[in-house]
Parts: sequence; C-alpha cells; structure tokens
Amino acid sequence: MSFVPGQPLTAVVQRIQIQKLRQGENLILGFSIGGGIDQDPGQNPFSDDKTDKGIYVTRITPGGPADAAGLRMGDKLMQVNGWDMTMVTHDQARKRLTKKNEDVVRLLVTRKSLEEAVKQSMGSFPRQ
Amino acid sequence: MPVDKFANMEEKLWILEDLNMMYIRQIALSLQDSDIQKKIDHEIRMRDGACKLLAACSQKDQALEAAKSLQTCSTRIMAYMSELQRMKEAQVMQKVTRRSSDAGPMDNRLPCKGKVAISDLRIPLMWKDTEYFKNKGELHRCAVFCLLQLGGEIFDTDMVIVDRTLTDICFDNTIVFNEASPGFELRVELYSCCSEDDYSAGSTPRKLASKLSSSLGRSAGKKFRAAMEPGPCSPVSNGGAAPLLLPVPSVPGPKYHLLAHTTLSLSHVQDSFRTHDLTISGNEECSYWLPLYGSMCSRLAAQPHCMTQQMMSGCLRVKQVGGDPQSWTKVYGALKGTSLFCYHRQEDVEANVEPAFTIAINKETRIRASEKDPQSKVQNICISNQYGGEEVTHTLTTDSRDDTHRWMEAFWQHFYDMSQWKQCCDDLMKIELPSPRKPAPATPKQGSLYHEMVIESSDDLSSTVSDILARRMQELELRSQLGTSPTWMSVFEENNPISAGRPRPCTSRLSGHSPCTPHRLPRSPVSPHRCPQLSLLSSDASLTSDSDSHCSTSPCSHRHGWPEPSSNFSLLSSSPSRLRPRTLSLDAKLSTLRGRGYGGGGTLQCPCQPPASSLLAPLPVSSRSPRSQRGAQTTLSCSSSTSSNSSGTSEGSHSPESSEGAPFSRPSPARRSLRNLRARLDPRNWLQSQV
Repeated sequence: MSFVPGQPLTAVVQRIQIQKLRQGENLILGFSIGGGIDQDPGQNPFSDDKTDKGIYVTRITPGGPADAAGLRMGDKLMQVNGWDMTMVTHDQARKRLTKKNEDVVRLLVTRKSLEEAVKQSMGSFPRQ
Repeated sequence: MPVDKFANMEEKLWILEDLNMMYIRQIALSLQDSDIQKKIDHEIRMRDGACKLLAACSQKDQALEAAKSLQTCSTRIMAYMSELQRMKEAQVMQKVTRRSSDAGPMDNRLPCKGKVAISDLRIPLMWKDTEYFKNKGELHRCAVFCLLQLGGEIFDTDMVIVDRTLTDICFDNTIVFNEASPGFELRVELYSCCSEDDYSAGSTPRKLASKLSSSLGRSAGKKFRAAMEPGPCSPVSNGGAAPLLLPVPSVPGPKYHLLAHTTLSLSHVQDSFRTHDLTISGNEECSYWLPLYGSMCSRLAAQPHCMTQQMMSGCLRVKQVGGDPQSWTKVYGALKGTSLFCYHRQEDVEANVEPAFTIAINKETRIRASEKDPQSKVQNICISNQYGGEEVTHTLTTDSRDDTHRWMEAFWQHFYDMSQWKQCCDDLMKIELPSPRKPAPATPKQGSLYHEMVIESSDDLSSTVSDILARRMQELELRSQLGTSPTWMSVFEENNPISAGRPRPCTSRLSGHSPCTPHRLPRSPVSPHRCPQLSLLSSDASLTSDSDSHCSTSPCSHRHGWPEPSSNFSLLSSSPSRLRPRTLSLDAKLSTLRGRGYGGGGTLQCPCQPPASSLLAPLPVSSRSPRSQRGAQTTLSCSSSTSSNSSGTSEGSHSPESSEGAPFSRPSPARRSLRNLRARLDPRNWLQSQV
C-alpha cells in the first residue's frame, strides 16, 4: 500500500456498506478512526508505510454495525460515500462518516490481505 | 388613440394558450388517454400558482423557491406535451402499419421495467484561489438546483445556495424513478440563478439599467447588465429550441438558467459512486455562472423488477440428476432475482421461511427442454449450473404441458431481462429512501478554515484571560517539581487556595455523569506580572498537562496492544530550553475562541469520566526508565473519544496506568475544554475518533 503523494493510486478495495445504528438521538457506526493529513503518520500502528497519512480503522466495537458489515481493524478507508479519504484531515474524515442525514455509509477499504489474495489468485491462474 | 401594445400582446398570448389547451384536449381525447391531460392541467394550475406567488412574495428565499417550482412545472408541461405528441404519432404509425399489413412476426418480448435511483449528487467547483480566499467583498451567491428527468417523470432536488466558500455543490436528495426500461435516459440538468439582492427586478427600464451599470464598478456593472438582459448567455428558460406550445408567462423575479447538463443511461449504473462529465452552457459573463470543475459524482443504482419481484411461481417436481431416478421432490417454486427458490409449501413463501433449496438462475445457467418423458408425456425442463468445476443439473417437471410451457416462457423472459439489464442483474443493488425527518438546521454561513475547527464549548467560560495565564503558571510550577518525587500526583489533590474560580458544577452537556468535584491545582502564590513572561513557556507545559488529563476510554486501553508509538510527550521539562516556543498570538486566539463559546462544535465532546484516576494516566516519571534520549519522558498516546452527538458512549472504564496513583479529582469543565482543545491541536497526539 505504498504510494507517492500526487500520483494516482491503485489499490484493491472492498466495498463495505454499513447501516448506521440509531441509539437514541445518535447514529453510530461502531468503530474508531485514526490518521489524517494533520496527524503524525509515524504513530499509526496499522500502516505499513510510516509516511501514510490515510485514515485507518483503529478499533471495532464487537457486534456493532461496522463489525457486522465486515470492517476490520487496520483497514484503510479510501472512500466514504463517494468522498475521497486519502487526503483529508482527521476532522474532515470524522465529519464525512457522521453526517446526520445519512443512514448508510458506503466505504471502500483496502487491506493487506486483499492484495495478497488477489496476487495468489492471479498466481494460480497465470494469464496466457 | 394610442394602442397599448403590451395589453394587445398579452391578449394574443392568452388566446394562443387557450387554443393550445383545446388542441391538447383533443389529442388526449383521441388517444383516449385522459391521464396525461389531467397531469397537464395539474401542472398548469401549479404553474399559475407559482407565478402568483412569485409576483406576491417579498423575501428572497421565497422568490427563489417559487421560481424553482415555476421552472419545474414548465419543464413538466413540456415533457407531457411531447409525450402526448409522441403517443399521437405512434397511434398514427400503428394505423399505417396495420394498413400495410405486412408487419411480419414481431418479437413482442419486452424487457421488464425497473426502479432507477440516483443519489448523493455532488458537483465539484473550481474557484480561482484568489476568489476562494477573498475575505472582503460581497459574497457572490447563486441558487442552484437539479432537474432530473427519466421518461415522463421529472423531479427536482432541493435548492442549494452556492458561494465561494463551498467547494462542492451537494444535493442530499435520493430520487427514485419507478418505471424505467433498460434503455432509459436519465437527463440531469443543473439550473442556477444569481442571488444578488440588488438585481432581482427584471423589469428595470433599460435606460435606468444602463445608467446604473455605468455608474457602478466595472465588474459589478457587467453582472448587472447580464442579469438584466436575456442576452446570448441565457437561453430561453424553458429549455431552448423546443417549439413553444404553451408560452411561459414572463414574471418579474428571479429566473433560473441552465448551467450544465448530462445524460446517464444503463452503462452508468453501478453499485458504487462514479464520476460523469457535464456539458456546461453559459460562460463567465453570465450572471448565473459558477466555475464548475466539469464533472458530477453520483450513485446511480437500478433494481429491475426481475430482481425484486417474483416473476413466476407454481408447483413443480424437482429431481437432481445423478440421484435416484424416482425421487421427485414436490416443491413450490418461485422465480426471483438470480434464483429459483423451492419451498416445501406455498405458504412458506409468505411466511418467509427458508426455502428447501435454491437453484441458481443466472447468466451462466443453461436451460433446455428435454425429450418427452415416456411415462408422463410431458417435457421436462433441465437446468444446468456450474458450481465450481462441476456441472449440476436439476430436472423439473410439472403437471401439465401448459404449465411446462409457462415455465419455459418465464425462464426465457427472465434470461431476456437479464440480458437487457446487464450488470444490474448480477446482484441486487440497494436503494434507500431517506426516512422523512426534520431537515438539518441550516449551517451557519461561515466558510473560513477557522470556522471548520470544531471546538467543544463549555457553558461556564467565565474565567478571564488572567485566570488562564495564572493556571498555566501553576502548571509550570508543577512541572518544575516533578522531578523531585514519585508522589507528585498527590500534589494535584491539594486545595488550591488561590483558585480564581468558584466551584464549577458539571455542565449538563457532559452527559450527566457524576458531578465533578471542584478541582483546584495547588500552587504557590503567583504574582500576575510574571504571567506574560512565562506564557510563552507555560503554554507548552499546560498543553502537556491538558493532554495528560485528557486521556480516556478504551483506545487508551488498547495502548498495551500497540507497538510503542514513537512520539513522546515531554511531560517533564524542567529546562525551559526544551520547550517549544509558542507565539503569543496562538494563545490569544485560543482564549478568544473559547471566550466566544463556539456552540457549533457540539458534536465533539469528551465525556467526563467519573473514575478520576483515569484522567491522569501518565506514569510517574521516576518509576519508569527514560524511554528515549530526551531525558525522562513518558510514553503517552492520547486519544479523544468522541461520538456523533452528545451522548458519550463510554467504552468501559479506563484502567489507570499508574497503580499508585491516588484518585485524581477531575478538573473543572472550563479547564477541560481548554485541554481538549489543546489536545486536539497538539500535533504530537495521534487522534482517534469514535464514529
């Protein structure tokens, strides 16, 4: 998942759709995020590349909507409801996820295991 | 006698309108379709109402909304009229072909209809950087909305006011079209109207207009003039070249012009967000111009009926090839989506019981009718699928030849639908209808980056600047005492004799946790004149103490599991040289921001944690060996745990790091809000937010 800032990025992504859960007045998703272009990327325990300022999932509430949808700790958020997450501040990311008039968030996430899975499947069916 | 030319013209227009209405009614009658006629009548009434409202209303917002309804009604009328004409033409053509009577066997198979939904429309803008950062000058505002047309249905989105502080035009509406065929064309049109207060009158006499424009500044005058005349940049507002059957009444008031449009079709449908190109009409000279980036981002989803509705159902007998030739299972089959669901009984379908088994019917399925079964003389239907590498075949039979024929017909129709709807039949795309709820409160019209900063407000921000400085002083003094004893934490508990505040009760905002005990930091008497000097140094120290006390909830508890975050706090900084110099202006800004009591940041709050020991989790310095070369430091990763609204979901009590820490009473809310702010602003924190 290494990248060069300013250059187009290719990644294997998984689509995850999370239905927000209503708890009283709040709509919660059930996970925590860390990172952002205004944060120190060296402190991110989940990123491979310690210059990656992307948004990572740092914690999943067990049994919550995110858990049920298949989000995993360590996932990097690439897109939320069409909005890019690779170059946003921490607060912008939080805001995109917590819009009150949206019931569903559609995420594009990437994780190492996806890339490996694709490599493996491509390896076993070599293109002629 | 002077002929009043305008009155004459108006009369003529009315006569034309009446004639047109008669013509429409005749067509409708001849088609025996009164449906469209009713719709046209309805829209004309709505349009008249909108005109009257426009003429009568005084407020800008109302006028814009009324003009929007006017535009929508006019477009709908045009659409209905063209549909009427098309139907008439089709009828005529049919008569012609019937007369020619050599039509040949027509393939009458029509694909099923479906629902098409477009949502999350977003149109990025591309302001010049000089425009975006301009803080002076009036805000040039435009009111925009989108018209979406598919088939005969036209919907409009809500109106959005756009000015140079917005980077994207976002429409929150989800528009669903119910009866779309696979060859649909969804036309998206963006209309905009300049929303300057001065230029609302459309009937300013030309002499006055030119005088005004010449006396105003050049750019303002240009805009004004453009708003006045319907020049080349504003095509007739009802959509351009289409022949006018019902002339649009000209009313004073804001008028919308077409700014951009695009057409979407089946190939653009996908279960994710895509970007489409926009065709932009108009240019910079027009009053309604907005610098569009040129694309539109949206989610276009389709649910063909074959995926959502039961296409065929009936009783069947199923046998799996390779099994016992006599073992026919009697089932009730329902064909829907990409499967044939086989239930034990018919009632199970309603009862939502799990089907006995499911046979996949998708693009790779092969269905054929087998030879007549010698015993029953009924043809069997064989369904073959590839599961993994193997082929699995199911054989179906029914009770009568008619049934078999109907099932085969249903399968062919299903395959045809899937071939027409293409990617929409791979998986069911979800379409959500937003639940009706109170509209979100209008966001305050602030756009600068500082307003973006979310700051928790605390209700009793009554401390003065000197208080803040004085507190910082105490903290700095504390710092200098830190190196001396491991029991430094107990220092925090002593009563502060010179606390500037009075007991600060917990604010209700902090979610009604147990009330805070008034906390006073101990300190030696501080003479105020020392404050300004030390503010430079103390700011850093107070920042660290804020961040220390700020630690809460489970992300912290996860700290153990993490590899050591590398950035450390300088909790102990007895030598001023190590402190990072802060400019006074930042402190001043922070204080003033607090003083203003930002209420907008209500979404971010740090829940007040009752276990006091959780608040100061840094480890006593002397009990740990220094982590880095930077002297005695503790590793601390602070996290702000936040939730969308004011209910703090505390994820379990935070276990204090330092076991010998005596209970640490909570600081006052004002201090806490300052600390929260500081913690969030300190780049050495790696923030986490709970969503």
